[in-house]
Amino acid sequence: MKILIADDDTLSLRLLQKTLERAGYEVTAVKNGREAAEEMCRPEGPRLALLDWMMPELDGPAVCREVRKQRGLRHVHLVLITSKDSKQDIIQGLESGADDYLVKPFDPEELKARLRSGLRILQLEDNLLEAREEMRYRATHDSLTSLLNRGTIIELLARELTRARREKSCTTVVLADLDHFKSVNDTYGHPVGDEVLREIGRRLLGSVRSYDFVGRYGGEEFLVVLNNCGASKALSRAEQIRNGIGRTPITTVKGPLPITLSLGVFASLGEDPRAVEDVLCEADSALYQAKAAGRNCSRLASAAIVASADSQY
Amino acid sequence: MKSATLLEGFVDFPELLDRVEGDQELLAELLALFQEDLPASRAGLQEAVARGELHEIERTAHALKGMLANLSAKHTAALAAEIESAARAGASQRVPELISTFNPEIEAFSAALDSFMASAER
Repeated sequence: MKILIADDDTLSLRLLQKTLERAGYEVTAVKNGREAAEEMCRPEGPRLALLDWMMPELDGPAVCREVRKQRGLRHVHLVLITSKDSKQDIIQGLESGADDYLVKPFDPEELKARLRSGLRILQLEDNLLEAREEMRYRATHDSLTSLLNRGTIIELLARELTRARREKSCTTVVLADLDHFKSVNDTYGHPVGDEVLREIGRRLLGSVRSYDFVGRYGGEEFLVVLNNCGASKALSRAEQIRNGIGRTPITTVKGPLPITLSLGVFASLGEDPRAVEDVLCEADSALYQAKAAGRNCSRLASAAIVASADSQY
Repeated sequence: MKSATLLEGFVDFPELLDRVEGDQELLAELLALFQEDLPASRAGLQEAVARGELHEIERTAHALKGMLANLSAKHTAALAAEIESAARAGASQRVPELISTFNPEIEAFSAALDSFMASAER
């Protein structure tokens, strides 16, 4: 654990440094308040500090105020060391943003115990942030397939369409639906159906580039957003995705199951003014055509518009 | 540690040993740092007194008090603390008297430290 110590008294600084190093801390020692504030405000700077009250440039309480102002988002644990021990001083120190204080000359055991209490608070914050990250992940991903969930993939598509419009580039949307998936569930049961959906998710992710998006759109429907992919490539990319699923049966506890996809493809043009809902409608009607054409195939939406697509894509 | 008797009357030795967690090497280092720093600190205090700068007297006395307290030189630290608080209270007339008590005490302490360090080296 990194810790910063700031004291203009060389003797005191050395004593602190040695005591803390012995206790296993990684110590940064500075001799004035200005340097202390700078160290603490660095992005990877220490999150734990022992600050002498009386120092040149900035005194301990001023360092506390400065650090609290700069590093508002993450908690840093600040302990003032002072020979001042009047109630008034202690209140002033804590009000300036210090979390704790130690009266010097300090007792090494008390010093270490107080730092451990600071570490508990930092650990608590780490746990909370980790939990928040996990919640954020759960709120944006589908729990079965770990793909982006419906809300998130639609949001990302809307963002991509706006970007494509601004940059006059192209975005391709592929709406993929598993053929006869209901019969998988009916014949082999839902756990096998889930196995199939998970494997489809993995294969879809494997068949796109790292900057494309794959989401679970509905029960057995998936939405793939291919960034910077224009009409001329759209259908062949969709065929790659289709073959990635259809070519190899999916291994399940009930044996290998041949699964196929029908795909509706829509390629937006540079200045396409359509909103995300309309784009999804286009992809959906293309998907309907693919289903009507006998399934296990891809269909491109709005051929008339596509004919004028920029040939560079 | 037999030579510790040399510091008797100046230093609460058991407390000091606790503070350095029994590390004799660190102790020697701290004492050397103190001796190294002392002339400049005392000169700073002396100069502030000569100029009658109360804030500077307070600051330099505070620094001396801090070092002395870290070495558990309790009596000498208390004398420095008196200078500090007199200066803070604006009692400039009391300062020379306090200094005249402090000076021989700190000189004696520093001399005792020299003997202690010399005996520790042997």
